[in-house]
Amino acid sequence: MFVDFTLSQGATVLATLTPLVLGLQGSGLEPSGLQAFPWLSASILFPIAAALLIPFIPDPGDGKTIRWYALGIALATFLLTVGGYLNGYDPAVEGLQLVERVSWLPNLGLAWSVGADGLSMPLILLTSFITALAVLAAWPVTFKPRLFYFLILAMAGGQIAVFAVQDMLLFFLAWELELLPVYLLLAIWGAKKRQYAATKFILYTAGGSVFILLAALAMAFYGGGAPTFEFTALMAKNFPEKFQLLCYAGLLIAFGVKLPIVPLHTWLPDAHGEATAPVHMLLAGILLKMGGYALLRFNVQLLPEAHAHFAPLLVVLGVVNIIYAALTSFAQRNLKRKIAYSSISHMGFVLIGIGSFSPLGTSGAMLQMVSHGLIGASLFFLVGATYDRTHTLQLDEMGGVGQKMRKMFALWTICSLASLALPGMSGFVSELMVFVGFATSEAYSLTFRIVMSVLAAVGVILTPIYLLSMLREIFFGKENAELAAHNQLVDAEPREIYIISCLLVPIIGIGLYPRILTDSYRASIEALVQRETLALAKVIHPPTPGLIRLSPMAELLPPGRLQAPALIG
Amino acid sequence: MDSAAPLAWLIPVLPLAGACLVGLGLISFNRTINRLRKPIAVFLISCVGASAVLSYTILAQQLAGAGATELLFNWASAGTFNLEMGFRVDPLGAVMLALVTTIALLVMVYSDGYMAHDQGYVRFFTYLALFSSSMLGLIISPNLLEIYVFWELVGMCSYLLVGFWYDRDAAANAAQKAFVVNRVGDFGLLLGILGLFWATGSFGFEEIGSRLQEAVAGGSLPNAAAILLCLLVFMGPMAKSAQFPLHVWLPDAMEGPTPISALIHAATMVAAGVFLVARLQPVYAPFPQVQLVIAVVGTITLVLGASIALTQMDLKKGLAYSTVSQLGYMMLAMGCGAPVAGMFHLVTHAFFKAMLFLGSGSVIHAMEEVVGHEPVLAQDMRLMGGLRKFMPVTAGTFLIGCVAISGIPPLAGFWSKDEILGQAFGSFPILWLAGFITAGMTAFYMFRLYFLTFEGQFRGNDSAIQATLLAAAGKAPAGDGSHRAGQHASQPHESGWQMAMPLVVLAVPSVLIGLLGTPWNSRFASLLDPEEAAEMAAHFSWGEFLPLAGASVAVSLVGIGLAVAAYALHKLDLGQVVAARFPALNAFLANKWYLDDINDKLFVQGSRKLARQVLEVDSKVVDGVVNLTGLITLGSGEGLKYFETGRAQFYALIVFGGVIALVALFSVLG
Repeated sequence: MFVDFTLSQGATVLATLTPLVLGLQGSGLEPSGLQAFPWLSASILFPIAAALLIPFIPDPGDGKTIRWYALGIALATFLLTVGGYLNGYDPAVEGLQLVERVSWLPNLGLAWSVGADGLSMPLILLTSFITALAVLAAWPVTFKPRLFYFLILAMAGGQIAVFAVQDMLLFFLAWELELLPVYLLLAIWGAKKRQYAATKFILYTAGGSVFILLAALAMAFYGGGAPTFEFTALMAKNFPEKFQLLCYAGLLIAFGVKLPIVPLHTWLPDAHGEATAPVHMLLAGILLKMGGYALLRFNVQLLPEAHAHFAPLLVVLGVVNIIYAALTSFAQRNLKRKIAYSSISHMGFVLIGIGSFSPLGTSGAMLQMVSHGLIGASLFFLVGATYDRTHTLQLDEMGGVGQKMRKMFALWTICSLASLALPGMSGFVSELMVFVGFATSEAYSLTFRIVMSVLAAVGVILTPIYLLSMLREIFFGKENAELAAHNQLVDAEPREIYIISCLLVPIIGIGLYPRILTDSYRASIEALVQRETLALAKVIHPPTPGLIRLSPMAELLPPGRLQAPALIG
Repeated sequence: MDSAAPLAWLIPVLPLAGACLVGLGLISFNRTINRLRKPIAVFLISCVGASAVLSYTILAQQLAGAGATELLFNWASAGTFNLEMGFRVDPLGAVMLALVTTIALLVMVYSDGYMAHDQGYVRFFTYLALFSSSMLGLIISPNLLEIYVFWELVGMCSYLLVGFWYDRDAAANAAQKAFVVNRVGDFGLLLGILGLFWATGSFGFEEIGSRLQEAVAGGSLPNAAAILLCLLVFMGPMAKSAQFPLHVWLPDAMEGPTPISALIHAATMVAAGVFLVARLQPVYAPFPQVQLVIAVVGTITLVLGASIALTQMDLKKGLAYSTVSQLGYMMLAMGCGAPVAGMFHLVTHAFFKAMLFLGSGSVIHAMEEVVGHEPVLAQDMRLMGGLRKFMPVTAGTFLIGCVAISGIPPLAGFWSKDEILGQAFGSFPILWLAGFITAGMTAFYMFRLYFLTFEGQFRGNDSAIQATLLAAAGKAPAGDGSHRAGQHASQPHESGWQMAMPLVVLAVPSVLIGLLGTPWNSRFASLLDPEEAAEMAAHFSWGEFLPLAGASVAVSLVGIGLAVAAYALHKLDLGQVVAARFPALNAFLANKWYLDDINDKLFVQGSRKLARQVLEVDSKVVDGVVNLTGLITLGSGEGLKYFETGRAQFYALIVFGGVIALVALFSVLG
């Protein structure tokens, strides 16, 4: 029934898209597999093309027509990605699917090459989903609506491109192109310190992306012959270990800025602190995931041997992220910055999962990205909605808001509980998978695993401390008379409840039965982990017993004991 | 009749479905739903009622000898790992199911009266149903991981319910404290579960137990490591069951509505820790050191709870510390390797303590008519007294509860507590001595509560005491006298049938249920562990039983006698005899062993300070370096200008253009 519904929707979208696709063919960009509908190219180019039409939309000036238009486009894009998932994507296949390849600049080795595997498909869906909700969240934006929605839609295309492209140069271009809309959205619609925040954001990210370019060029030109940027070709090249280490370090800096990894994180509280709610949702929901995705795609997949060397560092950095950001979040008095730091803290689990060398842990990292995309977006949306009413983000100036805003209180409580990894919600499953995956990983010594698990578990205590303190200071207690006197504390409106509900459905759905998501990328993650485990065996040969690496303890235990036996009695 | 076990999943799901439905309604159609008070209460009560019917069916089948059933499905998997979820039905679970649904049902009926005038009536019932669902889920969990899931969920419900009156600062703080302290325990629990999974590759209780033993015996796992893992897991029960030093949250949690204190913080959720330790017996049993730690922690807790309860003036806080003490007894039983005795005390305690709490709620409800909705006044026993005349049903049932908890035969508390003390006498005589003396203290403080509350003269209208109490709590007197006289009654009244009926119903098991666990023919033990029951009955001799039982009855009678002399006959002024002579001891008890202060100084202030320092480092050092670099690259003064004049866009474009040019350059060169 569900499939029928989306199919018919897909058909109408298809009808609207036909001219676009024809246009592409006319300009010489012919998809190689014409037998199938180019789902991914359409998902990327459709929002961008539609954004270009925004200046021609007749609008009385208050932006009402444009926001409906933008919402329609965002929904259509979402349906396009869902259509791609249902029609062209088979979760059981580990390799690339929905592949389209068009030679673009053959001299440069540049090709319009898109495709999706388990690493990218969930994030593509997440992107189009969050974008649609962000457009709905942007309903109150009245300042320069044309430009605003233009940028949001353009950004959506760029972000899907980041996850879908299979060519490193193209990836770099998409990565850079997506920066501009974010920069402008920050600089024009931000709060007081928006210029500073926007500049800091772009300097940081552009600075980091220089390393992507250098690494891309180095890898493309390595080994002589015609340069090639395609992932599959790069994967086939056997880079020497030293070269891998160099590229890995560069890429780690670039993606570490994005994820972010402490100490490369200081752009994030500023950018998040100044952004408006919808931009905020996109920043937290999607932008941070680009870092995690890229780490998996490049550092792990293309440079597995270097990853074998660097993985302990990733785990340590992950733990630092968790604790350091949780503490700073606790001390923050500004609501937006508090949530921004909590995002950094949650990204720590992604790092541990990526460095865990176990299918369960890596799968958990992937799940954590999607889960945080949903939970982070919901919290940031609520921050924006609260700010619309209180006109302050300082916790000291709030208090007792729950008296008048009961539904808002309920939504905040649910989302905060989701964020502190309450079972039954997606955050719990992903953190648990990372924990179990890392703790049972055979790649590390027992001591290292114990220390890191214990430290990471400290986050389990710190997270509720800052989130519940925040709830207490905003909603509990006697009503702040001054706040209530100067502001109309109206309760949540249906649109806001709808947005949060849309986010909660997948959050709780994944929390109750995580396989609805994990099965969609399981094959790819398993292939990836197999690849990195092989590399690990190559690097650690002969085995060097050390503080971090494989310990005698693991060898003592009979191998059968480390496997999970069937629990069915 | 077909087995009901495969339907056991419905037991938690029914209340959950009800709670979700009403919860969704509350968010979407707040006003309408809030007006439908009675229909919703009836709906949710029938959801829990249906669960109760199923639970009793299952209990009956278990009694008839149906075997344990387990059903699992694959919940999450990656690589070779499969995390499975499902449910299991066995005698231990069946007993708990029946217990929880019974008390939940009675508390819901009671709440209809207690919360009748509260704005959050519907929300309260929703939370109650949600809690029942989580608690029932915890009971039927077949493995540690699923226990952890529901463990957290009951913690969340406790958080929501303690903070139910969210306009009160004290409630807000208590709710947060409850959640965070429980998370400290969960920290250990999670690590312990992970460690046990690493060591044994399983989350199932029996499998963990046997494999852990194998691993230690085979030498692949050091004994110390196994003990450490067991103790880490024990941190969870320590927090949930309010064991020293993680008990600090429970007395504060009394800020929640009283039906909640009865259901969650006396009868069911706090017992979850004891229940988990009982489930983990296959894991703990082979390690005597672990057992010893559990027993010692239990003993410290039972002494601590009872000693603090001696000086409490707040009726609910007194009962709360009594709960802490009784949970200590249960833990002691677990540590003595007598899970059946511990579980039996859990069951009897659940009935009489739920009744006592509901009775205190009835008292508070009546007091609020006189002194207003101010917990500082309505719960303080200095303002009560003589309530027996006004509310005979409450007083009668409360007295039954006091006799039951004091361990006077043949009421319930005697049999279960005596069994624990008997086991302790056999295993750890020193710990038995502590438990024995505490039994006397228990009898004393319970009758102190009874006499202060129900006997003597009613002091509720004494405005001098009211003013002193308010001043001590740092609160301004609520309005002038005229306002008070105009709004409040001068006398308390007995509560309505919704509140009286559960009290009477609970009085029945409080009196009788102990008879199911007599040591010579324990039907309770023969359900949970037939072998042990047979052994108990075979080894039973009056010669051993009577001296021990007689001693504990005697010590209880001494406690009761003291309480009668001091608070009923006023022959003995304890304030002068004890408190004045040992001011240090009195202050030590009145300040709750100074644990709250230490907690506040060390952890609360400490973590705040640490967080502030880290933030300082973040903004001054880490971000400082970034800003400094920015300034240097842009040329100090010029840079500031860029930031302020908005020409940064231009700069960014140059950066972007430069990057593109670089690409082109490389491509030409390549």
